[in-house]
Amino acid sequence: MVKKKHSTLENASPLIVDDDELAVTPEEDETYMDLSNKLAEIRKDNGVIGYILRSTTSATIDLKEPEKIVEYAIFSSQALDSSQEISDLYELGDVKNVIIEGKERKALCMDIYGNKISIFMEKTADHADILKRISP
Amino acid sequence: MNNEVYSFALKNTLQEIQNICPDVSNTFIFKDGQVIAQDETTSKKIVNQTLDAFNAITEKAGILGGLNAVTIQGTNGQANIACMNDFYLTTISSKEADEKYVNTLTRILIPTVIRLVEKIHPAQSGDETLTTVAPELAEPELEEDETAEDEVAEEITDQTEDEEEENELPEEETATTEDEEEPFEPEIDTEPLLPEPPVTQLIVENLSGFRVPSDTVRIDQEVITQWNELYGDKKINEVKIETLSGKTTRCKFKHIKKSKDAGKGIIKMPEKIQLTLETSQGALVTVKPVVE
Repeated sequence: MVKKKHSTLENASPLIVDDDELAVTPEEDETYMDLSNKLAEIRKDNGVIGYILRSTTSATIDLKEPEKIVEYAIFSSQALDSSQEISDLYELGDVKNVIIEGKERKALCMDIYGNKISIFMEKTADHADILKRISP
Repeated sequence: MNNEVYSFALKNTLQEIQNICPDVSNTFIFKDGQVIAQDETTSKKIVNQTLDAFNAITEKAGILGGLNAVTIQGTNGQANIACMNDFYLTTISSKEADEKYVNTLTRILIPTVIRLVEKIHPAQSGDETLTTVAPELAEPELEEDETAEDEVAEEITDQTEDEEEENELPEEETATTEDEEEPFEPEIDTEPLLPEPPVTQLIVENLSGFRVPSDTVRIDQEVITQWNELYGDKKINEVKIETLSGKTTRCKFKHIKKSKDAGKGIIKMPEKIQLTLETSQGALVTVKPVVE
């Protein structure tokens, strides 16, 4: 299997990442699809602004503000990288999840079997419940 | 306020948190990118690297409307960086730690200590210095103190002699210079049974005139009489005045001369002292006697 293509068409512009050179195993593909379905359900919740899901070969972005996709993507990447740095400093092991609370919104970022997920939500949203639903 | 004051209080608080929660391995507090306090187990290098990583997230957190807190859950433990009263507390704990307990403890203790330091510090400064205390002007205050020391050097010499003679020649200046070197502690040690100085609320009124001393306020005779009755033969040469905003000063006092001003609950204050206290006519201040 050499090619993957995913997209979500809600009220946001889907971002599709194709790479003919990269390959994924059936298990990875299954995990990605499973996460994608869970996220699509979570996206319907009140207070959820959107999400970013990316694996080594694919990415799905569904956000209320498509014009800010780049900002969200950069933040998502930075949050996971910096969190892993902090985790390494204090020998906390692999980062399971990160909750970043802003003054207006919050984000839940995690890495599940190499799939990097960021879910953006309003401050009132129940991130603990979302975490429970998305966790394997 | 000087960060050193926060540092002292917060460092002890961090240590206590770790004593109470042994699962908390590292703690430190920073503000505006500067480390205010850290525990003994965390190296500066680690702290700086943590700050760099945190700042990297902060820079990109505009879409969240600024950053309040970050919680990183790792397989072996968790890191939490939370904003409290403009200070950021970092807590690293093992996976055995009770997250709710640690969060409850830190989020109550640290803000409480910060608030306490903010409240206590101005009052202490007022006691320690000869001149008026503005909490945010702690450093310039030191220079003023040095100047004051020079100016009253002669008085200090007199004071030493006076002390040796066991106050045979008590004067107002004696009390003033004595406070500068040994504010209150010796007195507390030798006179442990003195009652707490009563605090009286008074309204500021202007005191002006050609021969009015700029370092003396005028207070109701009734109030002064109460103080004298309370402290008997103890000398009360000065009063400590505090504004509602926490600014304090010490100065000499006399009773109000004009009978029409008596019993009105006012304190007649020269312009110089009003400026020092950043107060004005009509404002409320608290006054208590400085018992020698």
